[in-house]
Formats: sequence, C-alpha cells, structure tokens
Amino acid sequence: MDFTVFAQQIANGLVNGMAYVLIATGLTLVFGVLRIVNFAHGEFYMLGAYITYFVGTLFGLDYIAAAAISAVVVAGLGVAANKLIFWPLRRDHEFTILLSSLGLALLIANGGELLFGADPKYVESPFADEVLDIGTVTLTQQRVLVFAAAVVALIAVYLFIRYSRFGKMMRATAQNPDGAALTGINIGLVHTYTFALACGLAALSGALVGPTVMIFPTIGNWAVLKGFIVVIMGGLGSVTGALFAGLLLGVIESLGGGYISLGFMEAIGYAMIIAVLLWRPNGLFSTARGLR
Amino acid sequence: MNTNSHGQSLGQPLAIAGGVAALAVLPFLAGNAYLEHLLVLWMLYALLALSLNIVIGYLGELTFGHAAFVGVGAYTSAILSTQLGLPPLLGLPLAGLVAAGFGLVIGYAALRVVGPQFAILTLGFGAILFTITNHWVDLTRGPMGITDIPPMAIGPLAFDSARPTYYLVLALVLATAYLCHALVSSRTGRAFLAVRENAPLAASLGINVFHTKLMGFVAATAIAGIGGAIYAHYIRVITPDIMGVHNVAALIIVVIIGGRGTILGPILGALVYIGLLESLRVAGPLRMVIFAALLTGTVVFLPGGLISLWQRWRNAHKSENNLPATPTGLPSTEGGAK
Repeated sequence: MDFTVFAQQIANGLVNGMAYVLIATGLTLVFGVLRIVNFAHGEFYMLGAYITYFVGTLFGLDYIAAAAISAVVVAGLGVAANKLIFWPLRRDHEFTILLSSLGLALLIANGGELLFGADPKYVESPFADEVLDIGTVTLTQQRVLVFAAAVVALIAVYLFIRYSRFGKMMRATAQNPDGAALTGINIGLVHTYTFALACGLAALSGALVGPTVMIFPTIGNWAVLKGFIVVIMGGLGSVTGALFAGLLLGVIESLGGGYISLGFMEAIGYAMIIAVLLWRPNGLFSTARGLR
Repeated sequence: MNTNSHGQSLGQPLAIAGGVAALAVLPFLAGNAYLEHLLVLWMLYALLALSLNIVIGYLGELTFGHAAFVGVGAYTSAILSTQLGLPPLLGLPLAGLVAAGFGLVIGYAALRVVGPQFAILTLGFGAILFTITNHWVDLTRGPMGITDIPPMAIGPLAFDSARPTYYLVLALVLATAYLCHALVSSRTGRAFLAVRENAPLAASLGINVFHTKLMGFVAATAIAGIGGAIYAHYIRVITPDIMGVHNVAALIIVVIIGGRGTILGPILGALVYIGLLESLRVAGPLRMVIFAALLTGTVVFLPGGLISLWQRWRNAHKSENNLPATPTGLPSTEGGAK
C-alpha cells in the first residue's frame, strides 16, 4: 500500500468527517436537549449553502461575510421552525414530532427546488483553488478551512455548553425538563436558542462545504442522512460520540471509496450503523440521559 | 374500518357491499383510458399504503424503508420474467416471498430498536438496497432500469391494459383490507395494538413484543413486494427510482393524510394523493410543496387523518339523535401512553 495515497485518503476522510461532525452536533443537541428527532436538519445545511451563494453573488459580499450572514439567517429560520412546529408539538407523541419534521423537510427541500431551481450551483470562495501542501498530503485551502473552522466552532460550542449560563440551562433541560422548569429555567428560551445554535451550525457546515462540491436543493437529504448515521453511531444526544463517530465515518468512507469501490461508498456508512446498532443498540457512547 | 367490531350490525355489511359495488363499476364510469389508468394507480397506491399502514398504523413504528421492499418485489418479478422467461403470474408470489425474506432479515435487525432509531435504521437499509440496485448493473441494469417487462396473464386473460389490471389490483386491495380487518379483530391483531399502545405493559402480559412486531413487518413487506411486482408488469419499465426517498415520502403521505390505523384511511389517502398529483400536474415542483404542507398540516391539525373527519361527524350526529355514541372517537391514532 502506497503510504502517500493512504495519508491523502486519511486527510480527505478527516476533512469530510469534520463536516459530518458539524452537521451531527446540531442534530444531537436538538435531540439531547429537546428530545426532538429533526428530519429537517439537513435542509438547514442546504439553506446555509444556498444563502452563502446568493449573498455572495447578489450582494457581492466576500465569502467569509456571506458565510457568517448565512449562519445567522438560518439560525433565525431555525427559531421560526421551532416556534411554528416543534414548540407547539412539544407535549405530543414522538411519532407526531418525527412526522411533522419529515413534512418540514419535504416542504423546505421542494420549496428550495422551486425557488432556487434544480440546476447545480457553485459557491464562490477565494480559497477553493489555492492548494496547501502539508508533508506528503495536498489539500485545497478551502478543505483546510472546513477542518479549522469546524474545530473552532466545536470548541466554542463545548465552552458554551460547559461554562455559560445558557449552556447550564441547556444541560439542566436535557437532564429533566420539568425539574429545570421548576427551578425557574425558561424552557421556551432553551428551545429557541438550542434551535438557533443547531441550525446555525448546520448552515455553517453548508457554507464551508459548499465551495468544495456542487450544491443542489436536494443536498439536505444527503446531509441529514450523514448526520443521522453519525448521531446514531455515536449515540443519540452525545456530542462526544458525534465527534468520534463523524471522524470515523469520514475516514472509513474515504478509505472504502479509495480501496474498494466509489459506487458502494454510500452503502458503507449504512452498513456501519447497522453493525454498530446490532452490537450496541444505543450507540457507541450512550449512557444515561443528559448531554455529554 | 373502525378498530372495534361492535355496533352497526346491519348497516356496516350493506355499506361495504355498496362500496365494493361502486368500486367494481368505476372503470365503466371512467369513460376513457386515462382515467382508467388513474384508477389503477389509485388501487396500487391503496394496496401499498395498506401494507405500510400495518407498520405505521398497527405497530406504531415509522418505517422509511417501505419503498425498498416495493422495489425488491418489482425487480424480482421483472428479472425473473425478462431474464429467465418465467410467467409473471408465478413471479407475483415469488416477488412477495423475496420481499418478505428481505423483510425478515431487515426486520430482525432493525426491530431491536424503536422510535426514531428504527426509522433511521430502515432509512439506512432502504438506502443500501437502493445503492445496490443502482450499482449492480449486471443484474438490475443499474440506472438504465429494466424495460420490456411482459404484462401479466392468466391463461388467455392478459392484464395488458388498465381495466383488467384495475380488477386484479382491486381484488388484492379488498383481500388485503379484509386481512387487515381480520387481523385487527384477532388475538394477533390485539397483540399488535397492545404493543403499539404500551410495549412494556404488553410484554408484562406475556406478549412477545419482538416477534409480534416482526410478524407485522414481514406481512407488510410481502404485500409491498406483490404490489411492486404488479406495478412492474403494468407500467412495464422500472428504474431504481422506485426505491427512492420520493416514493417513501409519497407512501407515508398517503397513509397519514388518509388516516393511519384504519382500513379505509389508506384507500382514501391514495385517492386524494393520485387525484391531487394529476390535477396539480401543471403546478410542477409546487406539487411536492403542497403535499409536504398537507402532511405537516394533517399531523398538526388532524392527527386522525381525513377519515377521522367522518368519524367525528358521525359521532356528533349520533349524539344529536340521542343514540349512544361509539366509545372510540378517534381510534387511538395517537400512540397512547407516553
């Protein structure tokens, strides 16, 4: 086995994996804190990529500003989705919540196709064509940016959950929503900013990955699938689990695509979750209820 | 239709006979081939929705893999008839068997988890089957699909046009509807509902939750496979798209809009779906937006589906006439204790 090729595959896998982690973190936060399985999560990733594209082309803003604006706008849209659908349904059965999030996903994806057109678009980024050599590994600057920005965002999220007042309120809600409400925590507020945070992260991921691929209105579907594989593998509600599972999935897909078959690469992820779930039905990093 | 069998000792059989008679004469009223084609599609969707309803309505689990079993059935029968020259009539039960086999293996693995995990796992299995179908070009011809599938025939009677196919599928829909009815009023069916309402309690009463669910799942996949095979021999072209997310969403929309956990609900939902699909053809991509809005709206505002409107009306009507209202207003469409 050629070491250079191998190292390159690992590096590509880590970059892809980091993007998966960013998607999955929002998904797992929404589940861990609010007990909502949000099938529409991938659509916020799609919106993140498209809003970055439109802010860049229509208003002529540079890529970094466009990405930041898109993250903020999509966080706002996430809050709106929460207010309209998830908050009113919070006392309903999980089946109802699952179905309504599926409806929301179809609504955004098809609405996106209507608004943006089905043809692929390219997100412009000044880093997309510049190449960086790290030892024997060659990556575009954009892919390095995906990894670096994701690491910074994840550390910020970790510090936020661990030390801020809002983060403590989130963890309290995750452990016991009724108990948290009794101690005076505003659960409605926790709902709002958990959605803002999760959807903002999804949009950031879309804005970062956008320039490395073509974007379609249906990429949300792909994103939510990857997110779910990672979240299920790591354990629903576990942020640490999402980190390890995301990187693992990225690397395994990359190696599988390189050494086995590109066509069946997609199936590898699914085969992985099935294997994990048969072995540990609650995921690799699951323990009792709460945010980890 | 209702999950309980008491009441309406005479009215119900009459209503059913009338409904079946109306369905039987429908093709003669349709008048043209296009409408007859739509009737076939309605019945096909009704059949598939009834099978999905066993999982969603009676077992209370959301599956995202159902279209994959439809595809397995369609491909089994199509490959057997085009490559081995097997008569499609033999392919039909084989399609059901192969789909049930896949259902058994996948259900055995996936039913270890419940709720969201089960939904995602079935989505994963569905995606694997789609990927394999799309890439195993030697067997399935990949994205090019299988063309020139022969129509089904029983002796001299060929199901090569809409009208005979309509009666074939109608017979299957009625048989499936009867099976669902018999199932729900049987001991097994009551076990299904007990598991749906409260799995730990059902287990404590001696119901084997896993086996009960697996049985329902395999039955649903077998019917889905047969439905897929009929579709393949009727349309005569299949591509891997039959297993796609689009089709999964369509079937779920049909069951939920019609009313899950009922027998008339999925049939009604299929009528609404096909009717809107055709009448909104000019709307293009807006169609799916409308369906998504309908799904979300139904889940939020009318959890019992369209069929619950009629039940609501009937209950209100009965109390007006000072007759005792049927005890089940909404036939427990919500998953109960949780």
